[in-house]
Amino acid sequence: MNDTVSTGTAMPPSAALEAQSLVKRYGRKPVLEGITFGVQPGEVYALAGPNGSGKTTLIRLLTGLAFPTSGTVRMLGADLYNGGHAARRALGAVVEAPAAFYPHLTGRQNLEMVAFLSELQGSETKIREMLVKLELLAVADQPVRTYSLGQRQRLGLASAILHEPQVLILDEPTSGLDPQGISRVHEILSELAWKGVAVLLSTHHLREVSAYADKVGILGGGRLLDEVRLGSKGERYRLRVSDPARAYAFLRTVPGVHNVSLRDVSVVFEGSPNAALAALVREGYQVQFLEPDYFDLYEYYRERVKHA
Amino acid sequence: MLKILAWEFGKLIRLRSVQIGLAAALLLPFLWAFAPGLRGQYGLELVSGWQVPALVLRTSMEFLFPFLVAIASAEVLGSEVSMGTLKSVLLRPSPRWRLLLAKIAMVLLYPVLLLAVSLLGSLVAGLPFGLGGFFGGTGLGPGDFAGIGYISPGTAFREVLRAHLLAAMVLWPLAALALLFTVIFLSTTSAALAAVSTLFLMRLLVVFPVLKDFLFTSYLNLYVSQQVATGLSLMLIYAVGFAALALLIFERKDI
Repeated sequence: MNDTVSTGTAMPPSAALEAQSLVKRYGRKPVLEGITFGVQPGEVYALAGPNGSGKTTLIRLLTGLAFPTSGTVRMLGADLYNGGHAARRALGAVVEAPAAFYPHLTGRQNLEMVAFLSELQGSETKIREMLVKLELLAVADQPVRTYSLGQRQRLGLASAILHEPQVLILDEPTSGLDPQGISRVHEILSELAWKGVAVLLSTHHLREVSAYADKVGILGGGRLLDEVRLGSKGERYRLRVSDPARAYAFLRTVPGVHNVSLRDVSVVFEGSPNAALAALVREGYQVQFLEPDYFDLYEYYRERVKHA
Repeated sequence: MLKILAWEFGKLIRLRSVQIGLAAALLLPFLWAFAPGLRGQYGLELVSGWQVPALVLRTSMEFLFPFLVAIASAEVLGSEVSMGTLKSVLLRPSPRWRLLLAKIAMVLLYPVLLLAVSLLGSLVAGLPFGLGGFFGGTGLGPGDFAGIGYISPGTAFREVLRAHLLAAMVLWPLAALALLFTVIFLSTTSAALAAVSTLFLMRLLVVFPVLKDFLFTSYLNLYVSQQVATGLSLMLIYAVGFAALALLIFERKDI
């Protein structure tokens, strides 16, 4: 298994969105400290963290709604805070769940306003396409105050991607959606990432996003505790064996088996399962089972936050 | 910018405080014009419909209109904060100053709208008393209600219109101040409370004669004065100053 966990802060220069040493304090109280990370074009980056970890503040900083005490945010190379409003041309975002709209206007009128403020050309066709894509055409001409929570969330996503942004930032995009809606949003986000959009989203639904996110940033206490790159799966194995402590020490000496670790009563390793199994049997260990050890992001997150 | 102003106007007239304010401005003249205790309270016997606007201005400019302007001006931006739409708008590649400039235009427009509706209500309420020429005064020109002789309908209308324009303009500093407080507190209630408290405080500060000429509350009755240049200049300086400060703060305000 190639899942790697890194806390490094080095970042390729081609990041579509990059935060450098972001610090935010309210008075003397630190909310965020030294946040550095980047999202590459075509990458889905999920921000996870318990309530109060600073996710919302970070998203406000990344979208230019709030200003850091120190540090910078660059969007396609442009300084978000000193580059003027033009730096936000590449940005699409929903920073509240549910997304906020003018309740007396219809969904279509709200999107028309967004299109105007985003200086979008040929907006009528694009708005229609977006309404179809988000399955909102039937309610497009109803005032938003009559919309359900899920419809408002989908309209929020429509408003964020209407002008085809290159950087998309979403706060809890699937909050309030039914399973079908969640799956539709995931499809759309994956499709956008495939087209090269850098997607950053905050979420509590780690098992959901681990299906399509490329990287997960774990926030805790205002710090970026970890960045977990979700790579190819199925190359790590877990086995239950008699005398796991001795088996753990033994497997570390077996050629073709590496990164061996002891997890409670199980031994976890990477490399060849056949080589490990044959060596253990040869040495007289009783192997109860051996199975692929899928990376459990949720479990990892729980451990990481608990020890933060 | 025109499209944004049109949107902002649409939002302005949908605000509950604005609707209540305009309804009050339209209906209150009827209350004052036909109030049975009018003579006892003001020592006034209405002889012409042209005197109703003055009566309404004198009763409303003391507290009601400043209060309505403070509340509505705070709500112009505060409602966007509470609905969450301010964030949505600020995420777009549009400068912050452009949005706030449109809001400033609206809070300055509201007193004009309020006084215009009040004038309309006053004239309609004055119809039973007649709107022709009469011997006496409108209460808003030379000689107060007693006047200086015969006054034609045209002259009466000019006096009433001038007074209402002045009354609207002296409310501009308060409107800009309420918006400035909203930018600072990002809350309708806090901003309105702060603006109304400032209004009360300024009324109390008249006990310091050295300050009196600098308090904008000293000029709330400018509409009856015939010498308006100094007072009006000061009001405009206050309004521009508060608006400029709001723009400056809003540019780097955490939302």
